[in-house]
Amino acid sequence: MRKEITRRLRFASVGLALAALLVTGVFAQNGTDVLIKNATVLTAAKGKLENTDILIKDGKISKIGKNIRAADAKVFDATGKFVSPGIIDCHSHAMLDAINEFSYAVTSMARIRDVLDTTDVTIYRALAGGVTSANLLHGSANPIGGQNTVVKFKYGRPMEEFLFPGALPGIKFALGENVKRANSNVQPGQSRRYPATRMGTMEVIRDAFIRAKDYKQKWEDFRAGKTKIEPRRDLELEPLVEVLEGKRLVHAHGYRSDEHLNLMLIADEFGFKVATLQHGLEAYKIAPEIAQRGTGVSIFVDYWGYKLEAYDTIPYNAYILWKNGVVVSLNSDSGERIRRLNLDAAKTMKYGGVPEEEALKMITLNPAKQLGIDKRTGSIEVGKDADVVIWSGHPFSPYSHVETTMVDGEVFFDRKQDIAKRSELKAERESLEKLDANLPPSKRGKKDAAKKEDEDEEKTPDADPDPTEGGNR
Amino acid sequence: MNREISRALLALMCVLTFSIAASAQVGSYAITNAKIVTVSGSVIEKGTVVIRNGLIESVGSSVRVPADAKVLDGEGMTVYPGLIDANSSLGIPPTPPRQQGGASSQNNDDASLSKYPEGLRPEEMVASKLKAGEAQFSNQRNAGFTTVLTIEDNGIFNGQSAVINLAGDSAASMILRSPWAQHVSFRTLRGGEFPTSLMGTFAALRQMFLDAKRHEKILRMYEEDPRGMKRPDENVSLEALIPIINGEQAIVFNVNSEREIVRALDLAKEFGLKAYISGGQEAWKVAGRLKDQDVPVLLSLDFPKRTLTEHKEAEPEPLDTLRLRANVPKNPSKLKAAGVKFAFHTGELKNMKEYFANARQAVENGLSESDAIRAMTLSAAEIFGVEKQTGSVEEGKIANLVVVKGDLLDEKSTVSHVFVDGKEFEMPKKPERPASGPGGAAAIGTPANVAGTWNLTIEPPGQTIGATLVLTQQGGIIEGTLSSDVFPSTPIRDGKATPQGFTFLVTVSAGGTELDVSFDGRVTGNQVEGTVDTPQGPAVFSGTRTP
Repeated sequence: MRKEITRRLRFASVGLALAALLVTGVFAQNGTDVLIKNATVLTAAKGKLENTDILIKDGKISKIGKNIRAADAKVFDATGKFVSPGIIDCHSHAMLDAINEFSYAVTSMARIRDVLDTTDVTIYRALAGGVTSANLLHGSANPIGGQNTVVKFKYGRPMEEFLFPGALPGIKFALGENVKRANSNVQPGQSRRYPATRMGTMEVIRDAFIRAKDYKQKWEDFRAGKTKIEPRRDLELEPLVEVLEGKRLVHAHGYRSDEHLNLMLIADEFGFKVATLQHGLEAYKIAPEIAQRGTGVSIFVDYWGYKLEAYDTIPYNAYILWKNGVVVSLNSDSGERIRRLNLDAAKTMKYGGVPEEEALKMITLNPAKQLGIDKRTGSIEVGKDADVVIWSGHPFSPYSHVETTMVDGEVFFDRKQDIAKRSELKAERESLEKLDANLPPSKRGKKDAAKKEDEDEEKTPDADPDPTEGGNR
Repeated sequence: MNREISRALLALMCVLTFSIAASAQVGSYAITNAKIVTVSGSVIEKGTVVIRNGLIESVGSSVRVPADAKVLDGEGMTVYPGLIDANSSLGIPPTPPRQQGGASSQNNDDASLSKYPEGLRPEEMVASKLKAGEAQFSNQRNAGFTTVLTIEDNGIFNGQSAVINLAGDSAASMILRSPWAQHVSFRTLRGGEFPTSLMGTFAALRQMFLDAKRHEKILRMYEEDPRGMKRPDENVSLEALIPIINGEQAIVFNVNSEREIVRALDLAKEFGLKAYISGGQEAWKVAGRLKDQDVPVLLSLDFPKRTLTEHKEAEPEPLDTLRLRANVPKNPSKLKAAGVKFAFHTGELKNMKEYFANARQAVENGLSESDAIRAMTLSAAEIFGVEKQTGSVEEGKIANLVVVKGDLLDEKSTVSHVFVDGKEFEMPKKPERPASGPGGAAAIGTPANVAGTWNLTIEPPGQTIGATLVLTQQGGIIEGTLSSDVFPSTPIRDGKATPQGFTFLVTVSAGGTELDVSFDGRVTGNQVEGTVDTPQGPAVFSGTRTP
């Protein structure tokens, strides 16, 4: 029995994945008004509103109040239910065909935008966990890594529609173990990549910014007519010039507080601000220094101990940072954790007693601020994008689940619809599996024979469809 | 890598199997009483095609047969333009495997002028690598192909392709157009060298395009007035990109999935490239963009099929995979409906029968037969800019023709003659019907006696597999089973006895997958030696017959 339940659960989750493929698009209601009725609204800005309606027009929140009437709107009755802003994950590697460019210590020329995979089912699973936006980051193999991309999870839509309009561009930096051990697997005939120490990591970053300043100067000289030949456009240094000019956000992976502090000192030296410290497991040790610079911190709420530099943290990290006035967000860095960031937020109330709304902000408005998209999303306020989630109960309860997730007022996940689609998917799979091209090689190309074998198969008990397999088969 | 090996093997097989199969002649010919599918114009139900000096001299329903022409009675035959394989690697000898590790650019024996590593050298020309000799083309030519686009799929920049005819005394005489396009694969470099990731690949491409633009500017400045200016370095790689970034030379992206195609289209838009897609399995999903950006597709007829064997405990295949295989045959008709230009190519197919079977599938899924034929002929010629020379049966064009008994797309049709540059290639006689006359029979020979039980030793790299082959023979046809310790007794398929030995296909189950393996053996008395072609690469085998 136990085994069967496990099986059932496993297949249900695969089923969810597959249902995703059909569900999206079906709900697209561009141009249709949406009215969410009678909900408990967690605004993440102006407190909790009981028995409240939200009217969505053209993908924006147009009205919040009681007894709103809208003639042609599609109505979601949320009586007894909760509505929150869409969750924003400030550190994700979902929907990427590549994560690390290992070759050089500085790979700022690499762009996450070039390798998006909009078919990744992680997106749909994240939507099912109430996540509507994410910061897709390059990996942590390089002191200066590639350029990140902020997306809205518009699953099923063309790639361009995923890109968050107006989001500031960013870049990944990384410190510590991942950097110095990257590329330690040296190929014959090659030398080990520099740097191999934490010192070297800082040197590489400083050197890169010195080169970026020189590069900037070269262009200024050329534009001022001081030089005749146009300088070479350098895709490695251009994004670093943007960092110096405050036009590109630095998201810096790191664990130890000494290293994060050192990076902020380098930033001081070159006159830019680090936008976020990512992971920052020891950030609580330097909370005032972080707050003073207006740098944000994006952490795991209670995950540590998986490598030497990731030991010295406490579950009160979020609380201490918040108390010091730091903008804190909770991230997933994982296709699995991304589905239940709501529970991660709840934990900050237990450890230290972060107030409920502040806890919710750590997965909504705060990451929006860190990514420079808080004018458009992150809270339920009139004029903002309608990135909203309807929950069966309070999102901080482990017994609650997501009922509907909307991005720009369009439904991209709906639990009821998902369940309803599973039988369709099952039927589709059954018919597809009979196609010649989908048959195993030994059965292919003999049309009549294949048909006969199929008939035979149906009589053998082994081939009976397993009723526990849900929408999977 | 696999492709290199398989190409070597293919070449070897061609030499072994077909070297004496086709006899070629040049002269004047008249194919009379034949149905003529001109492709450029309407079908001539009963007409004559006259070939002279490698060109089509005349074509029509009331053409006079010249006195000196060799007459081929085309009763029951159909004449088509020679088929064009819109992406192949024919005629390119395999490159020796690279030394492991290290930047090749640092190798002392690297003769290239380029500052870029192997794989990022757009200046490389396929035409300079072509190997002379007609025998290497028999497999494709016997199926009706007269012309191919050829390029290796190596590195990020594959280099510049050539359009060649599948005949000619020298490599130079095969070439119809060279270079045609630059070809690009979105892959990484080996040996830990930048780029090691797909992101890096795009960064490398982008940087080289930008550098090429600047290089052109500097060259021009220097040309105008070199005084007071440092002489710009010779840079063969960037110079090769100048016509690309100026949109003068075509650039072909080898991409199949929707997102890969979108990436190619985005890059093309960013730099104003004259882009083409090759492969294009999911092109239908972005047909609108392909049409808007005017990007033609070299569409592979190598349709994906399941390769995994059936197993009760195996996870079911992803729905996306099942859908892909179902949708690929509908791709051509959808592209046609959307107004996207396309031509067919053989992809990785080795068995040309599958090419036609898949073309038929495209027709069953809504593509008209005439559009299918066009995608095999004139559309390809138009894409390559050789449509004034070939691709249709028209007066004055190159005599690239295929004569088919029946209709080309009919499963039962057979190719009887192929003309390449007016050179006649008669098809090998079927081994099971040995000619009795003194003419072609001598060239063909009678099939060897291969029946009996053979104890074989198959040697994939680092491995030795013992196997038993039991064959029965009737003329040129062989049947039987192959068994071994590592796979159960399996019946062989497509078994043929040749004058030298035998060839057959067999599908063996190993490690949870089913592999199509082809055997090609030369028999001397009770000894056999030969090659095995597997999806994992080639191997050799040898064996003895139990008397």
